[in-house]
Amino acid sequence: MEWTMILTKLGEGMLVSIEIFAWTLLLSLPLGLLVAFGRMSGNVFLRGFVKFYISVMRGTPLMLQLMVFYYGPFLLFHVSLPGGYRFIAVLIGFLFNYAAYFAEIDRSGMESIPKGQYEAAAILGYSKAQAFRKIILPQMVRRTLPAVTNEMITLVKDTSLAQVISVSEMFLAASAIAAKEASMLPLFAAGIFYYVFNYLVALSMEWAERKLSYYR
Amino acid sequence: MISIGWKRAAWILTVCLILFLGGCTSKKAETVVPGKFTVGFDQEFPPMGFIGEDGEFTGFDLDLAAEAARRLDLELQLQPIKWDSKDMELSAGNIDCIWNGFTINGLEDKYTWTEPYMANRQVFVVNSDSGIDSPADLKGKTVAVQVDSSAETALKDNPDLTDSFQDVITASDYNSALMDLKAGGVDAVAMDEVVADYRMEQEKNQFAVLKEKLTKEEYGVGFRLGNAALRDKVQNALEDMAKDGSLKTISEKWFGKDITVIGK
Repeated sequence: MEWTMILTKLGEGMLVSIEIFAWTLLLSLPLGLLVAFGRMSGNVFLRGFVKFYISVMRGTPLMLQLMVFYYGPFLLFHVSLPGGYRFIAVLIGFLFNYAAYFAEIDRSGMESIPKGQYEAAAILGYSKAQAFRKIILPQMVRRTLPAVTNEMITLVKDTSLAQVISVSEMFLAASAIAAKEASMLPLFAAGIFYYVFNYLVALSMEWAERKLSYYR
Repeated sequence: MISIGWKRAAWILTVCLILFLGGCTSKKAETVVPGKFTVGFDQEFPPMGFIGEDGEFTGFDLDLAAEAARRLDLELQLQPIKWDSKDMELSAGNIDCIWNGFTINGLEDKYTWTEPYMANRQVFVVNSDSGIDSPADLKGKTVAVQVDSSAETALKDNPDLTDSFQDVITASDYNSALMDLKAGGVDAVAMDEVVADYRMEQEKNQFAVLKEKLTKEEYGVGFRLGNAALRDKVQNALEDMAKDGSLKTISEKWFGKDITVIGK
């Protein structure tokens, strides 16, 4: 295969990987925050349920979760899977998995903020919602940025797991080309693509950290 | 108590309804997507199904499927799948059939099959400089197979032979298994002769195939158990292709000779 064709195919796969990355981040960051609230809730049933959810999502392989979300509807309800559900199942699996991780990161961020901040906010007349939005959240974001960056980098590489339900992301594309070419070179090329992608992610997050560290 | 809102409830209900109705219609229609013939195949299995020089899916089996679809007046829809999920993909209704160097032997009752269209053998591939000449030489050695392949089954059915091996390991695809062989991680790979021959063409002098074959078997097209209606249509198409010579033409294109067995 011409190397231009190989790069094109890898590029197409990369687009799918980027799609998974973008959608997952967009949806799981807010969901993670909600789950964190649930985890810290006063209601013992809600807290228990959320703890169970986090424990299952973090405690089982993402690969397995993707297969459960994809084949589950058919196995449990005998519902035939509509075309296009493949990608949706990937998004659902990644969303719930990463929301669990982000929830714990957010919880650690919020719990590390000194009680004094909450007290000062109350004295100054902020409502709970205002205090959260204007005082707690910005500090939490700053504290959790390195951990979130870690998760984002892991996410870039985890997109390759979508191949277990035959979503044509980059690693599967590289694998198929490697089989055709009887060579491992396409897989190494895929490795370079992943590295470049991750490098850009790490670079942007470093920039974000610098912009937010106005007290140092 | 959070109110879920009428709009959101209606949306969720619609999605459920679509999934449910999707299930209903699929059971009655002949193909999982009306008007299309959805073929499931392993895209890492040259020369039966793989990505060609032009970046498109190609292969002997895919060419046969394209011709059959044309004769059935259906649009060919190629769906690459993971080989070890083929049963799930088929029963879940993602694909109409599995057409990919699919061995009938041993699985006659699990699928609704066409008549065999090609003969195949499971063989042992070794490094040409390994000094291994027969399966007996594999005593105390490590052998690799693709997970859920007929080679894996063949080895399981041959405990006398397999017990003499040091180990049998499974790989997710043939490329990794053969890489392992090249690198010395395994001593032999048990696989389809058709794919082994393709690989040897690509890398002359690296590999050798043992003269003594593991099994003789036949390839067919596998449909969901009970889907005789579609199977019969495809069977008829294949027989027509055998009669008017197009089967022979496709076989010669890929293998230089007619190795099909339909109508013979």
